[in-house]
Amino acid sequence: MATPIERRIRWSGLIIALGLVIQTCTLFWTHPLAFMAFLLIGCPVVAAGLLFYLYSLVSRHPAGTEAD
Amino acid sequence: MNNSAPILIFFTSIVILLAILTALRAELTRGRGGKILAFVTLAVLPSLAVWAGAHEQLERSTSTKFCLSCHVMHDFGQSLYLDDKAYIPAVHFQNAFVPRDHACFTCHTDYTMFGDYRAKWRGLHHVWVQYLGKIPQPADIKLYTPYNNRECLHCHGGARKYEEASSHHKNPDMLAQAASNKLSCLSADCHDTVHDVANLKDNTFWKGPN
Repeated sequence: MATPIERRIRWSGLIIALGLVIQTCTLFWTHPLAFMAFLLIGCPVVAAGLLFYLYSLVSRHPAGTEAD
Repeated sequence: MNNSAPILIFFTSIVILLAILTALRAELTRGRGGKILAFVTLAVLPSLAVWAGAHEQLERSTSTKFCLSCHVMHDFGQSLYLDDKAYIPAVHFQNAFVPRDHACFTCHTDYTMFGDYRAKWRGLHHVWVQYLGKIPQPADIKLYTPYNNRECLHCHGGARKYEEASSHHKNPDMLAQAASNKLSCLSADCHDTVHDVANLKDNTFWKGPN
């Protein structure tokens, strides 16, 4: 059974991966729209995943839900 | 795509794979080693990938291909191939006085501490106009501010050919006036023929390097 922190880590990992996939796609095209996609979609998605991961580290959990 | 792009794509792919593996095996983070591994795969490596990607994108955004990828800039690109020595951009481009793959950016950036970022900020506005605004005719496109001699003198300043040219000594303090921006290099009767895209049709064009 996954703990709340593990669920958050799972989501943050997937969000970061999604953002990086978008960034990778923009690297195949030299065009202002690729630049904009990198800046306005890829970067915010990765940043959101990263912040969610950091939040999962500092957030409090109800007693007994933490595994270790 | 430049030489570093395949390496960056490979690196980012590895980071994606590690992030997905960490997400799928989140229970590994119960141990100390797993926590450290998760921090590396979800914080350190993605940050590095974003930083490297941003560097690559900024570098690409200074390329001639990038600038000319908007249709409205086509005529400005054509003007670089004009077979006429009176055209300043054409002379610089054809004689490789500026790097051809960064020709636009070399002359159209401010050589100041934040000049590159100011140019990028303006570029964002250009993209907005290109896709959501009213696109002007090429001939109607003007500079935001009068061209600053600083951008010319970034390369020509101190050069013997520039300082000893007789045309630069028509009056005794001409060089000083140019240096202080009181006399524009692009003044009438000096180097006043720049892109002039309104009159491209009547000219012949250089076919490019072999």
